[in-house]
Amino acid sequence: MSTSTVAAHSALESALLLGRALVGRLLQALLTLFGISVIIWALLPLAPGDPAQRLLQARGVQDPTPQQVAVLRAELALDRPLLVQYVEWLRRAVRGDLSLSYQTGRPVLQELGTRLPATLLLAGTALLLSLVIALIGGLLSAGYHERWPDQLIRLLTQVGVSIPAFLAGLLALRYIVVEFNIGRVLSGGQWQYVALPALCLAIGRAADWTQLLRASLLEALGTNYTLVASARGATRLRVLWRYALPNAALPFLTAIGVGIGGLIGGSSIIEAIFTWPGIGSYVFAAIAARDFPVVQGFVLLAGISYITASLCVDLVALLVDPRLRDGGHA
Amino acid sequence: MTGEPVTHATISTSRAQNPPPRSLSTRLIRHPEGRFGLACTLLLVGLALFGPLLAPHDPNQPNFRAKLEAPSTSHWLGTDQSGRDQLSRVLDGGRRTLGTALLVLSCIFGLGLVIGTIAGMSGGIVDIVLMRLVDVLMALPSIVLAIAIVGVLGPGFQNLVLALVISWWAYYARLARSYVLNTRQRPDIIAARLAGIGWGRILLGHVLPGVTSQLLIVATLDLGAMIAAIAGLSFLGLGVQPPAAEWGAMLSEARLYITLAPWLLFGPLVPIFGAVLAANLLGNALRDMLDPGVSR
Repeated sequence: MSTSTVAAHSALESALLLGRALVGRLLQALLTLFGISVIIWALLPLAPGDPAQRLLQARGVQDPTPQQVAVLRAELALDRPLLVQYVEWLRRAVRGDLSLSYQTGRPVLQELGTRLPATLLLAGTALLLSLVIALIGGLLSAGYHERWPDQLIRLLTQVGVSIPAFLAGLLALRYIVVEFNIGRVLSGGQWQYVALPALCLAIGRAADWTQLLRASLLEALGTNYTLVASARGATRLRVLWRYALPNAALPFLTAIGVGIGGLIGGSSIIEAIFTWPGIGSYVFAAIAARDFPVVQGFVLLAGISYITASLCVDLVALLVDPRLRDGGHA
Repeated sequence: MTGEPVTHATISTSRAQNPPPRSLSTRLIRHPEGRFGLACTLLLVGLALFGPLLAPHDPNQPNFRAKLEAPSTSHWLGTDQSGRDQLSRVLDGGRRTLGTALLVLSCIFGLGLVIGTIAGMSGGIVDIVLMRLVDVLMALPSIVLAIAIVGVLGPGFQNLVLALVISWWAYYARLARSYVLNTRQRPDIIAARLAGIGWGRILLGHVLPGVTSQLLIVATLDLGAMIAAIAGLSFLGLGVQPPAAEWGAMLSEARLYITLAPWLLFGPLVPIFGAVLAANLLGNALRDMLDPGVSR
């Protein structure tokens, strides 16, 4: 067998392995989503009172008559056993129909879909900001280990991981929006106003990732290959960038996978503070109105984005780190 | 929000087998960050316990002639929209925020310990079923799951506690299970088995003490995230309901008066930040001590 066929053979084999792993992960993801929906539905009977009555009260009917309740129950199919309701919901959900919102009567998927772009804009900007900040901070901190830039960055990241996003949001509202009239308290979700909420959303993750990148860079800087590189005359910057960073990238990537997935759901609080018209603020309104289908749709969406993000990051890790691929062969 | 539970992968279970020479509390006090974190945590716990006694006014007594007053000698942190003394409300609210965090963490701790130990000791189908449940719960960020559960059950204090427990215990169960599995294969345990000692005694004498200390460390690391989660969810109106004083709920009221009475923000904001920072520092110090491999 010539070397080229061997190479082609092993490439095919690794593609097959990759494909198999992907299918396995996808099946697992589907099972997980199914499990999440079961848990959410199983909690439904624990909710106090009759759902139709709660809904009527949320709609502003103070003392709903039994007739009104009965009509609504029939209308929303709430008079059937929970299991029947669940199976019916699942049957539709599989076909991409997340049933109708109790409040507006419009399809949940459509309602969530119209608000998704605003959330994606916010979460995407926050992700980009966190990455840039973490990369710069981590490299500076490891490059100037134990000197003042490192100490400053360590102090800032310690503050950053300890300040919950909603506190950062409130401080930004108070000091940037109200004091200097930059940005808006009531933003309409336009891209001009995304910077401030995105920054608030990014702070925690940026700080967390900076600490992580710093630690793995320092670990890489303590190894023999970076020592050899320095001995061969590589500058400090080159050692950091060319030798330490690629080896430090893997734990960093894993953390990013967890972080991205959390952004879609985690942006909710920032959306509520900045009245950002995304999925988060929509869901809080739905919770206040006891709009169960919307809550259910939100969980599925958050679950899908979380699972997709971790899947993508696993793939990127596989592409970036040849050691993982070799491990797959063995 | 840094709501996700801290990744604790760095704590290796094997290290608990060789106890450090000095006691943990001594080493914690010698660790600069640990000392600061411990001091702040103790201060906050003290405030939570005795805060209501120090409060200069009744936290729930409205005074409509003194609405939204700026900080003064009689009202150090000003008054809120109903003329209630903000300092008294902060002192009263700390009990609720920190108390809830401790309550939730204890429930998670207990549930994780019991379920994880059962899974690890029984093995077989029980283990598989329990761990599938854990996998499903861990497939979503805790805060998202908690929001969803409160969304189903309806806002309120009890439901907030329930939601946080349901969405957070799975990690503890998984950790407890893996520790139990490791312990079962230790030579001393095998020797004990061969000597004819029953599983019950092994569980009580050898397995549970180790699992408990492991989970306690994780719970300390999670304290900051838990305080942030409780305050955050109450801020969104999903947890403690007004007029009860709770730091997060107070912030959501203060937000409405951000231009008129910006000082109202600081009463609850500073202690939330302080509590999360203190808990994080304490957790980091503990992690450093138990896992010296982590670069500083």
